[in-house]
Amino acid sequence: MRKLYLIVILLSLSLGALAQGKKRNGSFNTAKTNPNQFLQQQWWLGFKAGVNVAQADPSKRYSILTPTNYSSSVTDKQYDAFKELGLQTTIEITYYYKGFYFSVQPSYISSNFTYSNQLEWVNSTNISETLTQTYKQNQKIEYADLPFLIKYDITGSKLRPFVQVGVFYSILLNAVKTVNVSSLDVASGGTNTINSPPLIVGSKDLFSNYWGVIGGVGVSYQLGNVRLVLDATYRQSLSNIANPQNRFSNDRLSGIGDAQDDLNLKNIMVSAGVLFPMRYLSSSFKSNDR
Amino acid sequence: MNKLFSIFLLALVFSCAEESDPATDKANFTRIYDNNKFDGSYYPIDAKQTPDGGYLILAGRRLAASNFNGAYLLKTDELGAFVSELELPSSIVAPIGPLLETGGKYYFFSMTTNNYQTQLSEVDATGAVSKTTLVGGSYPSAAFNDNGNFLLLRYDNFSQQSIVSIVNPAGSVSKSIGYTIGAGDGVEEKFITHFLRTGRQFPFQVGKTTGGQYFFNGFYNYTFSLVFTDLTATTPIGVVQGQQADGGFSGILPLDGNRFATARFNFGDNYLIPSVTISPTGISSIVNRKDLEGNNLPELTTNAVVKIVSVSTNGKDMVLYGSNTRSKQIVLLAYDKATGKFLGSRYLGFSNPFEIASISSTLDGGLAVCGTTFVAGRFPRICLFKISKEELGKSFK
Repeated sequence: MRKLYLIVILLSLSLGALAQGKKRNGSFNTAKTNPNQFLQQQWWLGFKAGVNVAQADPSKRYSILTPTNYSSSVTDKQYDAFKELGLQTTIEITYYYKGFYFSVQPSYISSNFTYSNQLEWVNSTNISETLTQTYKQNQKIEYADLPFLIKYDITGSKLRPFVQVGVFYSILLNAVKTVNVSSLDVASGGTNTINSPPLIVGSKDLFSNYWGVIGGVGVSYQLGNVRLVLDATYRQSLSNIANPQNRFSNDRLSGIGDAQDDLNLKNIMVSAGVLFPMRYLSSSFKSNDR
Repeated sequence: MNKLFSIFLLALVFSCAEESDPATDKANFTRIYDNNKFDGSYYPIDAKQTPDGGYLILAGRRLAASNFNGAYLLKTDELGAFVSELELPSSIVAPIGPLLETGGKYYFFSMTTNNYQTQLSEVDATGAVSKTTLVGGSYPSAAFNDNGNFLLLRYDNFSQQSIVSIVNPAGSVSKSIGYTIGAGDGVEEKFITHFLRTGRQFPFQVGKTTGGQYFFNGFYNYTFSLVFTDLTATTPIGVVQGQQADGGFSGILPLDGNRFATARFNFGDNYLIPSVTISPTGISSIVNRKDLEGNNLPELTTNAVVKIVSVSTNGKDMVLYGSNTRSKQIVLLAYDKATGKFLGSRYLGFSNPFEIASISSTLDGGLAVCGTTFVAGRFPRICLFKISKEELGKSFK
């Protein structure tokens, strides 16, 4: 919770500093000489929601199952690329100044990434007798995300494509892991496929807060005084999302040989929403005047 | 100034991210040492941390050509990662623990397949066997490191005696005394099935109290008993009798004077007694002594294996019991060493069955718990839990 306070303070200071800068640059008399001066700044408040896909990249691999007579690479987890859909919702608070948007977009992000591994045991006296076990793991992670973005409109028309870059800090809310274990037993007198009920385990202890960078493109469309926004962002964590202290703490997962790798997380997110101008609105003023 | 402050805050916030480091990786880990042989079967006996921070594990392994189990050594690094393994020749069978450390070497007793003679193997810290010496006598059952000399409890099938000997690291026997297990085949059968691992695994133990009194936990006069001996008199100086093979001590840890931390079994039930005074003289019965009633633990398996060690961690001296639960987990139960007060418990393992083999302290004040797990629910494999002193502090308050 203290980290959340720090983020809020940081963002407040950042926006405050920008606002202070704005005051120094303008004056009442200047505005008089330039009637559009006050339109060079604007506050926007809006809401967005969308879907995301995630991929985890191991920066350091860990395994509980430690081979003594076969390659340790066999126990490496195979991570799927951007396979499962997640959801996100965002409140966007944006300050516009001279063509640039400085945006804070606190979000709730639920992501899923998947990985699997497979093990095989062979009867050395009869190699046709084998047991193959496949572990498929789906990791759902939920974060409160605090990104700070700078956006720039490429054109100033009613349909405005934009680019955006920024940094984010993600605060862990929850995590749940679902493990599906299936076996192919060719050693019990026939071919026997065994599908065990999924093991669903709370795994919040295995993850931690992290930070990273964001880049993206989007387009906004002016509809009356509001803007409809569609954007796509790519997020890349620059710190480990796993919690090394608790890597082996979950007995349910340790028991089946699962230890959390050190991970970097990538997300591709697509969101759509609406932004409302918060300053100098009147019936005669259209926010798309700027 | 505001910008500087913002940058400082930014750095502070981002530094809150968690990164792994070698110290963390060494402090806590879980390892399961897997062999992809369908018919491979391993059961650990003891694990000791070596001076390089790694672990040396003594285990038994299934032999295709023998009714007895062979010996196996596994060496890991300080992270628990596999370094080397050694399948000892099939002429070395029925290894017993603990790994006896003296002079920078590790020793363990085993048996020859020829006439079932006791032998002593010397192992270096890398897990290599440097020599194996014939000690003589049959069926080694338990051992204890007595300041560089070894106490050995064995069963002599010719005289049908439980024999306690002092053996030096060179394999020479300096003293020996035997006590009858009772005439007939009834008790001997239990010995044989114990050694073949086809029957009940009895908690044989030999040791020495802090006052210098030798004892063994084994068969004496038809009964699984705690026997005190001076290694001279042919009659024990004291006995706490069990209930034939159905009741007795499942573990004994001398604390101070005549005070012990013990556990007992009684027709399948298990009782922990973290502090009790047992006189080394006189004859008493475990079933008649009120002070040996102890805490009944129905969660433990029938006639559970119980390992008892003394541990000092986080400024606390405690007696730690390790055993197996009916839910197929390893349980650690801690009691205050001075008062016997319960301090907490910790469970290890889940999903697949886990069984305890040994508990030992580590150089960093943590704990290494070695056991057997059944990978995929069927393949017996060695597992090693390393628990940091911080984690122990959370579990045992």
